[in-house]
Amino acid sequence: MGLYFANVADELVGDALAGFARAHAGDVRWDERDGYVRALKPAPTRRVGLVSGGGSGHEPLHLGYVGTGMLDAACPGRVFASPHNRQIFAASRAVAGEDGVLHVVKNYTGDKINFGIAAERLAREGIPCGRVLVDDDVATESAEIATGRRGTGATVLVEKILGAAADTGMGLSDLVALGTDVVGRCRSLAVASAAHTSPATGQAAFDLPAGAIEYGVGIHGERARRTLQERSLRDLAEDMVAALADSLRLDARAQVVLLVNGLGGITRLELYAVLNEVTRLLDKRGASTVRTLVGDFVTALDMRGFSLTLMAADDATLAYYDAPADTPAWCGRAG
Amino acid sequence: MLTPTGTGITESSEPEDFTAFTEGWMRRFADAATATEAELTALDQQVGDGDFGANLVAGLQATVRRLDLPVGPPAPARSLEAAASAFLDEVGGTSGPLFGLLLQEIATAVAAARDGAPATALAAGTGNGLAAIQRVGEAAVGDKTLVDALAPASSRLDAQARAVPGDAGAALACAASAAWGGVRRTARLTARRGRASYLGDRAAGVPDPGAVGIALLFSAATSSVTSLRSHLN
Repeated sequence: MGLYFANVADELVGDALAGFARAHAGDVRWDERDGYVRALKPAPTRRVGLVSGGGSGHEPLHLGYVGTGMLDAACPGRVFASPHNRQIFAASRAVAGEDGVLHVVKNYTGDKINFGIAAERLAREGIPCGRVLVDDDVATESAEIATGRRGTGATVLVEKILGAAADTGMGLSDLVALGTDVVGRCRSLAVASAAHTSPATGQAAFDLPAGAIEYGVGIHGERARRTLQERSLRDLAEDMVAALADSLRLDARAQVVLLVNGLGGITRLELYAVLNEVTRLLDKRGASTVRTLVGDFVTALDMRGFSLTLMAADDATLAYYDAPADTPAWCGRAG
Repeated sequence: MLTPTGTGITESSEPEDFTAFTEGWMRRFADAATATEAELTALDQQVGDGDFGANLVAGLQATVRRLDLPVGPPAPARSLEAAASAFLDEVGGTSGPLFGLLLQEIATAVAAARDGAPATALAAGTGNGLAAIQRVGEAAVGDKTLVDALAPASSRLDAQARAVPGDAGAALACAASAAWGGVRRTARLTARRGRASYLGDRAAGVPDPGAVGIALLFSAATSSVTSLRSHLN
């Protein structure tokens, strides 16, 4: 556990955004005054602008998915804090197409309210605005949790598929319907063997004894309902795949897109081993893993953990998934 | 012979100068928020993250800066629009921008009313603001949020404006009284939305600070009408 490398803790996000914009200067622009990153080369066929956003600390989400074939704009908040409605309003006005703008929102109270306020302001200006709410985390699936499942790893798949659909010239209401359908096809679950480092204190955000695994951790370090002791990867993967498959009611012969996502502080070596276990388990269930993604897509600062996302795909969603995209962080390939 | 028209000879508390009324309303709201900031902060430290008082005052300070350097010709909606943009663009947290949505809806209704009765416009704007806040925040009456003050204020304002359209002062006084009644009810409620919902019964006995903010808004409106009347009569 070490301190973050930053000139001033409060300026880390701003400095990173400036660096991100410098690294991808031909493809994106960071509007520092209004607080959003914008794609410079959207497909001319697009009739609806795609905007997402959320707290920083989850990179490459959402910045890395701004570009041709995915998001038109992303609004970063402070670390783990929702962006301001002013950023979302400005970004939405800037990228709205002839059929308006679509917000991709992860299911957190702050994000919902800030995107909602921006949507009210857009409506007042006569700009049509739709929303797709991403809620895929089965760790928060319970009748007692009124706010519903949190939004996590599925966000990347939703942004990819909606981006490809928007490039075909699809209208706002059809995009909302497609996005809602895709969200319903996705479930995720995350585990960690060590918390992220709190930027405020430089200490672990929560304490886990050696060998313990937080089963169902959130991407902001929300504690899980269960802490497991000394679990082999094989047993852990089996529990996770079962939970995801049950929630999805995954039937035999299903086509599955699998995302093995690092939470920021885990090695690629481990992620590939996870992928090996999970595909084996899916094979055993009779499901066919038709696409895999592995790497850091939706992180929780430097949390030592990973998440699994399963999407029960059909031919239409796979075609959108396979469509070409060129953004700083998308690395999906057909096959 | 000139016949006196409308107010002046009745007991009505209709503001004669609606533009001066809305500016006085926002300035009085700023004064009231500043005077109660410490109490609002103390309440929010018990049921929220403690920033509501500071956010409300910050929004109203930004509003007053806009009122001191007004943009555009005098109009009844100008001060309300200044307050709406201050709250929507410059205030952090979630409650502050929700006040911005309410003020924006009131401004829109007042701007659209032109020569119509002020009470009717204020009632329409407040009702639209309540609807916008509920769409965004998904809170219902009983969830221990600012909706518990705004919903009864809106309904009493609307009823009074329908009964006596020519008396905005009476309608606003009804709204203020209903809002404070709602504030007192929030003290008896367990939160289901907002940060207070994480505390469960621990927040019992404490009124919701956002609801207090709504009551201060309508009390400020009432006192702005009363004050104008004393100057103009």
